Amino acid sequence: MNPGPDSLSFQGHGLLDRRGFLGRSATALGSVALTHLLGREGLLGQPGLIADGAHPLRPRAPHHTPRARNVVVIFCAGAVSQLETWDYKPELHRWDDKPMPGGPAVTFQGPAGNLARPQYAFRPRGQTGKMVSDLIPHLAELTDDIAFIHSLTSKSNTHGPAENFLSTGFALDGFPSVGAWIGHALGTENQDLPAFVTLLDPRGVPQNGSNNWGSGFLPATFQGTTWSAQNPVRHLSAPGIGSEADEAARRLLGQLNRRHLEQHPGDEKLAARIASYELAARMQLSVPEISDLSTEPAHVLRAYGADDPRNPIKAGFAKNCILARRLIERGVRFVQLFNGAYASGGELNWDGHNKLKEQYDRHAAILDQPAAALIRDLRQRGLLENTLVVWCTEFGRMPFFQKGAQGRDHNPDGFTCWMTGAGVRRGVSHGVTDELGRAAVHDIHPLYDFNATLLHLLGLDHERLTFEHNGVQRRLTNVEGQVIREILA
Amino acid sequence: MQRFTPIGFLYLAALLWGAAVSGASPAPDETRHWAFEPLSREAPPHPNAAGWARTIPDLWVLDALEKAGLDPSPEADRVAWLRRVHFDLTGLPPDPQACQAFEQDPRPDAPERVVEALLQSPAHGERWGQHWLDVVRYADTHGFEVNTERPHAWPYRDYVIGAFNADRPYPEFIREQLAGDQSGRDAATGFLVTASVLLPGQIGADEVSKRLARQDALDEIVVNTSQSFLGLSIGCARCHDHKFDPISSRDYFGMQAFFAGVEYGDRPLNDPESQARRDRLRDWRQRKSVVEASLSRMDPIARPGSPTHHPPTRVAVRARMNTDRFVPVTARRLRFTVLRTPSLEPCLDEVEVWSPDGRNVALASAGTRVSSSGDTTVENRHELRFVHDGVYGNSHSWMSSEKGRGWVVLEFPEPRRIDRVSWGRDREGEFADRLATDYRIEVETDTGDWITVADASDRKPFEGANPTDDEREIPLSGLDPKTRQEAQALLAERLRLEREIAGAVASQQAFAGIFRKPDRIHLLRRGDPEQPGPEVAPGVPEVLGSMRLPADAPESERRRALAHWLAQSGQALIARVMVNRIWQGHFGTGLVDTPSDFGRTGSRPSHPGLLDWLAGEFMASGGSSKHLHRLIVLSSTYRQSSRLRPEAAARDADARLLWRYPPRRLDSEPIRDAMLAVSGELDRRRGGRGFDLFDQRGGLSGFKPVESFPPEGLRRMVYAHKVRREPEAVFGAFDCPDAGQSTARRRESTTPIQALNLWNSRFTLERSSAFARRVRHEAGAEPRDQIQRAFRLALARQATGPEEQEALEAVHAQGLEVLCRALFNSNEFLFLP
Repeated sequence: MNPGPDSLSFQGHGLLDRRGFLGRSATALGSVALTHLLGREGLLGQPGLIADGAHPLRPRAPHHTPRARNVVVIFCAGAVSQLETWDYKPELHRWDDKPMPGGPAVTFQGPAGNLARPQYAFRPRGQTGKMVSDLIPHLAELTDDIAFIHSLTSKSNTHGPAENFLSTGFALDGFPSVGAWIGHALGTENQDLPAFVTLLDPRGVPQNGSNNWGSGFLPATFQGTTWSAQNPVRHLSAPGIGSEADEAARRLLGQLNRRHLEQHPGDEKLAARIASYELAARMQLSVPEISDLSTEPAHVLRAYGADDPRNPIKAGFAKNCILARRLIERGVRFVQLFNGAYASGGELNWDGHNKLKEQYDRHAAILDQPAAALIRDLRQRGLLENTLVVWCTEFGRMPFFQKGAQGRDHNPDGFTCWMTGAGVRRGVSHGVTDELGRAAVHDIHPLYDFNATLLHLLGLDHERLTFEHNGVQRRLTNVEGQVIREILA
Repeated sequence: MQRFTPIGFLYLAALLWGAAVSGASPAPDETRHWAFEPLSREAPPHPNAAGWARTIPDLWVLDALEKAGLDPSPEADRVAWLRRVHFDLTGLPPDPQACQAFEQDPRPDAPERVVEALLQSPAHGERWGQHWLDVVRYADTHGFEVNTERPHAWPYRDYVIGAFNADRPYPEFIREQLAGDQSGRDAATGFLVTASVLLPGQIGADEVSKRLARQDALDEIVVNTSQSFLGLSIGCARCHDHKFDPISSRDYFGMQAFFAGVEYGDRPLNDPESQARRDRLRDWRQRKSVVEASLSRMDPIARPGSPTHHPPTRVAVRARMNTDRFVPVTARRLRFTVLRTPSLEPCLDEVEVWSPDGRNVALASAGTRVSSSGDTTVENRHELRFVHDGVYGNSHSWMSSEKGRGWVVLEFPEPRRIDRVSWGRDREGEFADRLATDYRIEVETDTGDWITVADASDRKPFEGANPTDDEREIPLSGLDPKTRQEAQALLAERLRLEREIAGAVASQQAFAGIFRKPDRIHLLRRGDPEQPGPEVAPGVPEVLGSMRLPADAPESERRRALAHWLAQSGQALIARVMVNRIWQGHFGTGLVDTPSDFGRTGSRPSHPGLLDWLAGEFMASGGSSKHLHRLIVLSSTYRQSSRLRPEAAARDADARLLWRYPPRRLDSEPIRDAMLAVSGELDRRRGGRGFDLFDQRGGLSGFKPVESFPPEGLRRMVYAHKVRREPEAVFGAFDCPDAGQSTARRRESTTPIQALNLWNSRFTLERSSAFARRVRHEAGAEPRDQIQRAFRLALARQATGPEEQEALEAVHAQGLEVLCRALFNSNEFLFLP
């Protein structure tokens, strides 16, 4: 049922209904059947080729059977200290306030000071007894389900290029972001919504802004649509235009386009543009419906902390977490959820150079409960069976304080990110930094490997997911990347 | 056991490193590649239906069609071609008069005349300059995390537009962009530094970070040069010998060495235009002081010590400038005492003391000395000496050490006859805080007495807000009619002069690179600055030539040598790359559909003979783009209808063989420009700083888009202040490049976000209203006339009967704006016919 350009109302409507049914059955069998069905019906994309120009968001099959269908990325901007969160370094207590033997004299921001102990108490958590700090008590309760990678490295020690590197695989500007790559490769389940949604922190945009959700040289279709509980999708309605005038204009446009198409029969580009207006009209209805959190029961709002009157930023972030769940529920392929904004001396993000503890107390209170509630909620609703949750940050922080300061400088040589949910091994800690947490020493993984693993879980081979640009077959992982098999379920 | 290096590409580098350091060149057969071969000089073919051809390129196209068993399409109707060629050559639609004139022009050379006029129009460079700016990823911000303004980038943008308008011979265009500082085209070298760059504060304090940042900055110059001119991705060889093309790491660093003395930064312009601008600037400044002197003589005389119940005769103090005029007096010293500010320590920009013949006797250069009650000194910003240094602005001003008060005394070398004082908080008008709202001016006469010559007692009370610039400092109502007229003329002249001066000051420098002693360039193992290999001297890639310079060649010679080598005649590759870009501009796809990759991984040309013939023609014409435009847009190939023919589409869906004119959606800029042209609002002012697309830079909510543009924002989009990576809120979604990486060819995507933007944005609604106003004005009150006029303006044709009927119903029920909005969103409006 590959529809011709004259069936403009909704391509593959019936098919999508069946997809929806199979998808919601939420089993591995379901996704195998889905792949089979898509293949049989000629809707399988050709991986590595440009997506179908007329229907760029139509679902496409991955390279191999996927473990996850959707992704939520919780992106903590500003570089979260691994030493205050997930990477327990008891040796630092012994070395507290002593110079680091053989340590660097100067780091990113200037002269290095003495080593500093973890600023929060660590205690064993769950069945695995994983040591996690008291900074993030709610997330700490989930460690039995999480696969930690403690030995990641970045190519840059500067926020902008490093956020680029995490989000696009290149430190330079202008390359497609991971969400754009995935939309390009897989399309999306719900044709009434974008494939890739970026939920911005209530405090503002992250350091490197739109490059984290840009489409680079991929078609613009695949860029992240920014959205948040505070700032809804732009241009959903025409200011000052009544519904009758809107309807009249829409009818007239339909008539103009239909006659024009009659003059140019068979031109797929024209048909695709007509279809895009129909999808836009559906988004005008679906987006406000999803944004309306008043339909969430009080206990859900409470669980996320969305009703916290004392901490409006936390409540705002919690609302974004609820939005993330709703988008995943409705089949959005990739949701990027930002925690933390731009450079601000660590006031608005995790860039704790000077007053780390004071600032982290505030930041963790915003992140912890809502993010943990999101993961729990996804699990409770069975969505975690098909959804991969990624927690990441652009690099880590140094084991010593900066000279004359109570905070840590940038450290791209060994830091922690984690994954949980679909296809991820539970309760595992992979990779090791040295005993002071200065650099990764075992199972070292540049972020290329992290992104390769993410693609793998979605059924994509990072070496085959390519796009030709100016003479180079570009990849998310450049010419690097190895799947981190140790964290796969 | 470190697996990861800062640059990466490790495994390839490991394989290829041996070859690179041993100096082994690629095997001979690897260097043979069609794009590197000389032009073929093949004679044009003789297709059977050669009578169809109008220009030589047609022969090649028709020949290929015949060989594939395809027929060309019939000619498009006259207006379709006219609309096509207008958008194509200028990025703007034809207006109804142009359509009518062309339709009624019986002369056989009417199309040639149209093309000539379009090529002469300044709009031509605005459109074709944009294509080049895409390739070189031009933007008005620095990119990366701070993405702050690059305020003097635009002279390069204007240079590019001007070069296309002037049909600058391509070899010259190349030479100027690499070494225009040596030929009086300073702004042209903006080409070298179009990339994103980390500013000093963003680079780590550690040496490793600094070395890596410098390498990245140099890499961008090599990439820009090789992609734009050579159509080769040499950048890969930074870390390893090129995987597919015969470019070694040594070749790469040899190229880098040509730019080893280039820094990203502003450079004062020294080209003839700038010299002339500087001369004009001096004249304008002189004239402005004369105007101000004349104006101040119309000021009411100050009446110090006026009783409070007296009605004020003078205007309130202003932050920018105030004048106090008094009866001429001979003074040894003058004391300016601040008695009150709204808050903080007072700040005085320049204090000028005028003689009756209009000389400023307060200047330090006139021998006057200054003392004060105490200073808050901020080096090079607030210093006492700045109060009479003749330089305006907050960054050259005096600040008192006390809140709300303070004084300065100017001591003249000998008693001076004076009659007025001019002073302000910030003569450049940026700052309005720290203003002296109450003050006293006293002079010490030659008898040694101090007398007060002016104070604020006869001024209107200061009301807090900063008066706008246009508020007159002279109460015109108090003047006799003749003087009032004179004053008005002077005020108008001063406003004009201020604008000219501001413009000229802004164009004194350009972000066009700073040139210094070159760094030594080393071959870097895996591209890692921490693993330097042998030193590399400037040299072009071996496969392309043998031009080499000594390792100690001076900076300017390096760029000059490379520029001349690239621009020399007989560079087949360079000509092929450029003619292909031009062909792509006309047909959406080049003869080679990988316009910045003429290497081995790039596509082969669809019409190799034609590509080489065009390249030969281009070289023979001295590199004239306009010559190629004429050949192409007047060809039978270009004049074909765009109508889809299923039997042909079944064989060649993308029309690479050009059996029809391939229709395509307009790019983002022509959509916006066309909406403004049709609504009658397009502001055709050219050049200068770009208009803002965003209200706010960075900050809490990121870049906040302008929703409703002031008139300045209704200029062509090429004149927007281009914020890197930040898509314009409405048109960015139409695949507008983000200036992160080079865009040699724009994508053409179709998305619901585009539809939402074009359907619901305030921009569209405002243009629809203006369009409707225009139509009512031009067509009168009769709805049928209005509908016909709207179709003419937007689509260059009449509405058909059924269209008119449908439109009539909608217009009748909901107003003309409904039709205007629908037309702006219609496929016919958005696609090249």
